[in-house]
Amino acid sequence: MRNVAIVGAGITKFGVREAGWKDLVQEAGKAVFDDVPNLDKKEIDSLIVGAAQPERWINQTHVAPLVAELLGIEVKRVISRTEVACASGQAAIRYAWLAVAMGLSDVAMVVGVEKMNTRFMNFSQSSMINVGNREFDGANGFTAPPFFALVAQRHMHDFGTTREQLAMVRVKNAEYGSYNPYAQFQKKVTVEKVIESRMVAPPLTLFDCSAITDGACALILASEEKAKQLTDTPVWIVGGVQHVDYAHTTNQMGDLSHWVGLRKAAKDLYEMLNIKPDDIDIAEVHDCFTISEILEYEELGFCKKGEGGKFIEEGQSYIGGKVAVNPGGGLLSNGHPLGATGVRQAWEIVMQFRGEVPKERYVGGAELGIAHNLSGMAQLHHIMAYSLKKRSDVKFGR
Amino acid sequence: MARRVLELPDTVPLSPIIDLWDQQEPDGPDATGIYDFYRNLADGELTGQKCLSCGKLIFPPQIICPSCNSTELEWVKIPEEGELYAFTELKLGAPIIVENYAPFVIAVARFGNYPENGFQISGMMFDESYEELKIGDRITWDILEIKGPGDKKRYWYYFRKL
Ligand SMILES: [Zn+2]
Repeated sequence: MRNVAIVGAGITKFGVREAGWKDLVQEAGKAVFDDVPNLDKKEIDSLIVGAAQPERWINQTHVAPLVAELLGIEVKRVISRTEVACASGQAAIRYAWLAVAMGLSDVAMVVGVEKMNTRFMNFSQSSMINVGNREFDGANGFTAPPFFALVAQRHMHDFGTTREQLAMVRVKNAEYGSYNPYAQFQKKVTVEKVIESRMVAPPLTLFDCSAITDGACALILASEEKAKQLTDTPVWIVGGVQHVDYAHTTNQMGDLSHWVGLRKAAKDLYEMLNIKPDDIDIAEVHDCFTISEILEYEELGFCKKGEGGKFIEEGQSYIGGKVAVNPGGGLLSNGHPLGATGVRQAWEIVMQFRGEVPKERYVGGAELGIAHNLSGMAQLHHIMAYSLKKRSDVKFGR
Repeated sequence: MARRVLELPDTVPLSPIIDLWDQQEPDGPDATGIYDFYRNLADGELTGQKCLSCGKLIFPPQIICPSCNSTELEWVKIPEEGELYAFTELKLGAPIIVENYAPFVIAVARFGNYPENGFQISGMMFDESYEELKIGDRITWDILEIKGPGDKKRYWYYFRKL
C-alpha cells in the first residue's frame, strides 16, 4: 500500500446559496486548483464525486462525468460517484485514497457537493425520509430531526444527560464557527438562546439541528512521489474504517442511546493505527444534532459511556481540553450539505495542520486528526485518520 | 422563423416520489413480494414474520430470512399491547404528503420481549400530544386507512395509548 497525501483543499461558502449545483462544483474546483498552483490539470487521472441525492434535488444522475466536464478533467483511471447519504463525501475520499494507495491512480480529485435549498422545501423533507427504510420508517415521518430527538430522549432517560448539556455543544461549535468565514452560521450563541429557539422535535430545538445547506468542497490526493512535486505541506491519509451492524430499520437498531456501530468502528481504527483516543489532537465529528456529538465523545472513547454530557459541561472538547472537537464549528455552524460534509471535515484538518485558520480556532501542535462521518439514522459510521506523519513512517501511540 | 408552443398540463398525478405508501402493489411490475403484509393490514392485523427454520423473528417483512436464508417464513401477529420506548413530535419539516397532519407524534414501541423475542417498531400517533406521553406507557397498534388519491385505498398502522 502506497502512502497517500492530500496536497490541495478548496471550499465554497456554505449556506443558502443563490447558486446552482454546477456553480458550486465549479467554485470548489477553482478553489482547489488555486490551492495547488503547481498542478497541471492533465496530471489528474481520477475523479470521485460525493453526492447524496442529486437525482432528487437537481433531477440529475450520472453526475461524475458532468463534474469532469465542468472542471475540464480528462479521467483515465477511476471515476465514480459515491452515495452513502450524509457520508457520501467521506466515501469519495476513501475510494480516491484506495485508488492512489493501490497504484492505479497517481493524482486523484475528490469533489463533495450538495444543493439542498430549493423553493420546494417540503419536497426536500420528503427526500430526507429516504435515508431510513422508506417503506417502514420513512412512511411514519422519520426524517432526521425526529429520529435524533428519540436518541436524545433516550440518552437523557438512560444516562441523565441534561437539556443544558445538549445546548452546550451548540455553544462550543457556534463559538468556533464564528471564526470560520465559510460557515453558514457565524454568530455565537448562549445556552438560553439554544433552548429558547423554535421547537423542531422535542427535546431538539432549531439550534440543536444542523441546517439544510448548499455547498461544495474539493481535494487533490497524490502519491508520495507526486506529492513532493506539488506541495511542501502534505497531509497524509493514514487510515480509515466503516461499520454497519446489519441495521437499517428501527427493529434492528437496539437501544437508541448506544451507537454500537461507532464503538466498533473506533476500536478497529485504533487497532489499525495502534493508537489510543488520547493520541487524537483534533476530532472532526458528525454533529448533525447536538446529541450526536455527545454520543460520539462516548463511542469514540474520549469519555466513559454515558458521560458525554459531563464531558462538554467540563469543557473537555474545547481547544485546550482533552481533545479539540469540531474546531471548525462542525455541522452545526457550517451547515450540512450532505455530499460536501465529509470533504469539509478533511479540509478543516488540512487547514489546521497547515496553520491556515484564525488563531481563535487553531489547534496548535496537532499531528493526528480524525474525521467521523455518520450516515442516515446513525446506522452506518465512517472514520478516517489524517496526519502530518506518513502512514509508513509512524508508529502512533506506544 | 417557425416558433412553436408546447402546452403542458395544469396538474400532474401524485408522483410516486412523494407518495409515502407507494410500495403496496399486489401484482404487475410494481409488485412486492411481501404483499401479504398489506393484505393482513387490510384484514385488521399488523404482522411480522417468524422463520420456520431458525426461529428468528423478522421485521420489516422479507421474502428470505437474513439469518439462515430460509424461504419458509410464517406471519405472526404483532402483540396488541406494547411499551412506549421513545417518542417525539414532528413540529417542523414534515414530509410533503403528511404536512396537513403535523404536528404529530412519532414513536418507537417495543412489543413482546425485545430484542430476544419481540419487535421494535416505529409508528405515528395522532390522538395524543407529546406532553401527554411518557416512556413506558402501554400502547397498542391499530389500522390506518390511507384514502386517495382518487378511489385508491391502502392500509397502514398507527399507535395509540391504552
Ligand atoms: Zn432463519
